[in-house]
Amino acid sequence: MSSLARRRWTLATALLVPVLALAAPAALQLDGVPPSWAVLWLLPWALADGPLSGAAAGLALALVLDGLHPGPLSQAPALGLLGWWWGRLGRQAPLIQRSFNLGLLALLGAAALGASLWLQQIWQGVGTAAALHTLLAQTLITALLAPMLCSLQLLLWRRLSPGNRGRTLQADR
Amino acid sequence: MAWPWLALLAVFGAVRLSKGAAVIDAYALLSRPFWPGTAQSDWLRSAQDLDRQVRLQQLEADNRRLRGLLELDRAAGSAVRGAPVISRQAGGWWQQLVIGRGALQGVRSGDAVLAPGGLLGRVASVTPTTATVLLLTDSSSRIGVWVGRVRHHGLLVGVGTSRPVLRFIERDVGARPGDLVTTSPASTLLPPNLTIGVIQRVNEQAVPAPEAVVQLSAPVHAVDWVQVRRP
Repeated sequence: MSSLARRRWTLATALLVPVLALAAPAALQLDGVPPSWAVLWLLPWALADGPLSGAAAGLALALVLDGLHPGPLSQAPALGLLGWWWGRLGRQAPLIQRSFNLGLLALLGAAALGASLWLQQIWQGVGTAAALHTLLAQTLITALLAPMLCSLQLLLWRRLSPGNRGRTLQADR
Repeated sequence: MAWPWLALLAVFGAVRLSKGAAVIDAYALLSRPFWPGTAQSDWLRSAQDLDRQVRLQQLEADNRRLRGLLELDRAAGSAVRGAPVISRQAGGWWQQLVIGRGALQGVRSGDAVLAPGGLLGRVASVTPTTATVLLLTDSSSRIGVWVGRVRHHGLLVGVGTSRPVLRFIERDVGARPGDLVTTSPASTLLPPNLTIGVIQRVNEQAVPAPEAVVQLSAPVHAVDWVQVRRP
């Protein structure tokens, strides 16, 4: 178990994701479409805690979220792969911590998640043009919120587990 | 000295030719304090509403009696339960509500969920204290509906937007914008004769059968309480 996941309360913060998905605060929606809270939580977690922890957290989160929704669409493949990818990026130099980089990664992640859901819809024969609107709106609102929310989480996680990369957090320039 | 009399005659002539306009306008001016006020139209409107409510109650009672004779009703499940909306996801990949009544309160999977205005969707899953409602707009929602004016069945298919698509089964249905869409009068999966919406646009060229875009009548963004009804 990674150093971050060893602290139980840090894992408990993942419970905020289903709570926010259900509460769907209207102020944080773009044209009625909420951001992908899973991406906004998973990105800093995986960057700070590595690929294995990221993939496991992504899969666990996806299973919880899939349980909240009727229908056969699943976020598990996309979130698992995103957790793995972001975990690997977090292990590489240079350190990813700039707001723009976090926004870009969240944008790519939300677009990949949306594309995977759209492909599943098409596969099941229920794909519609409205999915493109949902994909674009969710990608935009997720990327807009990511610099603010993800950088704060990343700061917290890296302070809690400074040894993960063998060096301490440098200030965001 | 006949000119004053001639002038008076001219005045009377003018009154005659103007069909008494000046006289009527003067009368209107004098009688203005005694004109019927807006209160009168309110009384009439409330009387009309009362009349409609009474007729509606009588028709519903009549309808229940006739359905009972036809054995279409199943009395055990006809209870209506109110439920608060505790989560609303009307946009995005899933279009669903979570309501604060579940299996412990007698809500079952497949129950119809109504709001003021008409049908919202069906219960997709229940927990002991909550139920998830699949809205008619969700892309996995499919229910059979009835267009009363042209007496044709169709399949209401959610497409992820706020307006689902009505796919007819036969060609030449003759539906047109403004037609009312309801649940089937003989439906056993859903309560019969529930208002769903109004046809907004018809595509007669669709293959294999015509399609119509339906504007739903229940405002999903505005409801905080819904009714759960067993068919």
